[in-house]
Amino acid sequence: MNSHTRSYGGYQQHFSGSTNPTIKNPTTQVPQSTQFNDRDCLNDILAMEKWLTDGFNVFAREASHQALHNDVMHILNETHRAARDVFNLMFEKGWYSLHPEQPEQVAKEHQKFQSYESQMPQQRTSPYESGGMYQPRQY
Amino acid sequence: MYRDRYPQQYRMNQPPRVLSTKDCSYLTDALSWELLTAKKAHFLASQCSDQQVKQQLEQISQLHQTHYDILLNHLNTTEHDHDHFGYQGYRQ
Repeated sequence: MNSHTRSYGGYQQHFSGSTNPTIKNPTTQVPQSTQFNDRDCLNDILAMEKWLTDGFNVFAREASHQALHNDVMHILNETHRAARDVFNLMFEKGWYSLHPEQPEQVAKEHQKFQSYESQMPQQRTSPYESGGMYQPRQY
Repeated sequence: MYRDRYPQQYRMNQPPRVLSTKDCSYLTDALSWELLTAKKAHFLASQCSDQQVKQQLEQISQLHQTHYDILLNHLNTTEHDHDHFGYQGYRQ
C-alpha cells in the first residue's frame, strides 16, 4: 500500500552469525504478551487469505458455465492481491525477512535447466520466441 | 447416443448459463467464507493500534463484501438462462 513512496530503512542489513545479508526492514515493535497484537492480526488475516485462494482455485476449476468461472477467477485474483498486500505490509513493518540464495547456486541451477531444455519437444531458436503460444478456443 | 438424436445446430459448445448442483454447493460455501472473512477483518481492524494495519484490514473487509455480492448475484435465478433448450427438461 503506497509502500513505494516511503523510503525503507536499510534495504539490506548484516546480522551477526550470517555471512549473507538478510533482506529486512527494522522491526516495528509489538507487545510480547498473551494479548493478540497487530502482528498477530495481520498473520491471522494472511493465513485466511491463503486459505481462501486454495478454496477459490478449486471452485474456479470446477465451475460449470463461463460467466461463473470468470467471476470466480476474478475473485481468486483479487484474493491473491489481498494476500500480497498483507504480506508486503508485514515486510514493510519488519515482520518478514528474506534470505537471498548464493548467486553461484542460482547460476548452477540455471545452467542445469538450460541444458534440460534440449529435451523439450518444441525446439526454439531464441529463448523468448513465442512460437508455441497457446491459442484459446474461440466461441 | 446424443449424436444421433440432436441435429448439429443444437449441439452446445459449452455449458449453458445454468447453475449445476455442484455450482450451488460451491457458491454457498464461498459465500460463508466471504462473510466470515469480511466480519473477521473488520473485527481485527477494531483491535489494532497501528493506523496502517487498521486501514489495510478495513480495505480487506470491504473487498470480501464486494466478493460476497458478486457470488450472491449468481444465486439470483433471474440471471440464469432458463430458456436454453438443454434446461427445458428440468423445469417443473
